[in-house]
Amino acid sequence: MVLSEFAGVSMPDWIDAILRIIFIVALMTIMAFALIYGERKILARFQARVGPTRTGPIGTLQSIADALKLITKEDVRPITADRWAFELAPYMAFVPVFLVFVPMPFTETWFIRDLNLGLLFVFAVLGLNIVGVVMAAWGSDNKYALLGGVRAAAQAISYEIPMLLIVVAVVMVAAGRLAVDGDASAAGSINSIVGDQTTTPYILLQPLGFFIFIIGMLAELHRPPFDMPIAESEVVGGYFVEYSGMRWGLFFLAEYTALFLLVVLASSLFLGGWNWPFGADVGLGLQIVLTLVKTTVMIVLVIGSRALFPRLRIDQLMSFSWKVLLPFAIIQVIANGIILSYGGADWVVGLVSFGLLVALGGLVYYIMRRKQGEGTRTVQTTPATPRVITAPEVTPVEAGGD
Amino acid sequence: MEDGVTATQVVFWILAVVMLVSAIGVITAGNIVYAALFFIAALAGVAGIYLILTVEFIALVQLLIYGSAVVILILFALMLTRARERPQALFGRSRPLGIAAALGLMAALIGGIVATTWTTPESSSAIQPVGLQTIGDAIFTIWIVPFIIVGVLLSIALDGAIMLASPDEDDN
Repeated sequence: MVLSEFAGVSMPDWIDAILRIIFIVALMTIMAFALIYGERKILARFQARVGPTRTGPIGTLQSIADALKLITKEDVRPITADRWAFELAPYMAFVPVFLVFVPMPFTETWFIRDLNLGLLFVFAVLGLNIVGVVMAAWGSDNKYALLGGVRAAAQAISYEIPMLLIVVAVVMVAAGRLAVDGDASAAGSINSIVGDQTTTPYILLQPLGFFIFIIGMLAELHRPPFDMPIAESEVVGGYFVEYSGMRWGLFFLAEYTALFLLVVLASSLFLGGWNWPFGADVGLGLQIVLTLVKTTVMIVLVIGSRALFPRLRIDQLMSFSWKVLLPFAIIQVIANGIILSYGGADWVVGLVSFGLLVALGGLVYYIMRRKQGEGTRTVQTTPATPRVITAPEVTPVEAGGD
Repeated sequence: MEDGVTATQVVFWILAVVMLVSAIGVITAGNIVYAALFFIAALAGVAGIYLILTVEFIALVQLLIYGSAVVILILFALMLTRARERPQALFGRSRPLGIAAALGLMAALIGGIVATTWTTPESSSAIQPVGLQTIGDAIFTIWIVPFIIVGVLLSIALDGAIMLASPDEDDN
């Protein structure tokens, strides 16, 4: 619909579909270039450097130069790697992320398709991304890749659950508010959730939800402080350690696209996307600016967290998800259910969620203080991961396929 | 998709071929990781069939639960074992029993399909998509007891897994 309106002509469905695909690919590539450049510049500032300066004006062409280098680089496959898993893994990691573009609302009418189950679609499709990561990890026949892949899979599964639950809580609030206008069943569509945030961004109604979403997002994206799957000092790059050239580039592209999309999703769900604070009346030009400003602020926060926080240990990461985030997400869903079914006002929902957020912060602070008091700050070897893993034995003859 | 039956049928046959090929792949792949990957393709095909039947919700849940979570857990388990080695023997002494069970299941399924009287709608436009709210209302009002029982069952399974996995010393 978007493109037909743009061009002012009607075209057959299949041309429309192809145009949309081209649009997504172009947007995705440009976004990845911009994000990589932005990340290098911002990170450099945090570390009292200046970042790339040589290629193009103030280094802006650096990403393009890097991409050219990647394309022309030799594509190496280790001789013991599993051919099919190794070669198909980058695409398996990349395509799901690409599909997540479909329901993202950049303005009131600019999206690929406004899916009624848009939120569920995002998580269902994004979850497939991890299959590619696991294929890469296993197919590389490298113990560091395997370790990284196992970590990535464990992390993705653990953090997906609190994230999904918190999205359920947000949908409950949205359904309650949309029911006033008549159509509560639209609450699964991201665009109608944004459309409801004309005066109140949902961060005020669900502050705990925003917090858990951001934490889960960082973990899903393997961003610091949750970057154990790709930590250079521990698993020398993780699941893509054996990749080079454009296949490695595809993993990179998938990662940055997922970062952009999840940030757009977070700003749509909690910060009012194109809507708040000016309402739907402002022109589309201003709506896209609003979306991009919110997205940029959050991206700077995400990149800043890379420079500011030390990396966690894998057992800390798992405990935090299962013992802290998951119970609080469940409590939030139950609390929303109780408040909304008795017709509680918006400020009650917001206050309860804020109370839960304070409780979560207090709990984490208390646990950390107590652990420090015990003097057990040395690294405890928990038997969870390291003991069990036995890397596959390298049998050079085997290499399936050749 | 607007021009009706033909496009849907083409998509159906493509999906059917994908599903059949990957289902055969699951059982014939000597490598068990390949089998798990074929399994994903087969389940994605099932999700596609759900999409044709206009139940997007079930299709997405299929992808979310089976496509990623379950298969990832299977792959996770396989990667921690020596899954790269071929199984020594694909068929054991219980081969006749397995063949009998498979044939029995096949007979039951085909019998069920043949015995059912299928109601055909007048045209494809007569099919009304089932809304998410309808499904939600059904689960949380009429079918609330089965829903709660399934929930309890899953929590017990989760608790049991934690009990099995937790180390003897309670240092956590």
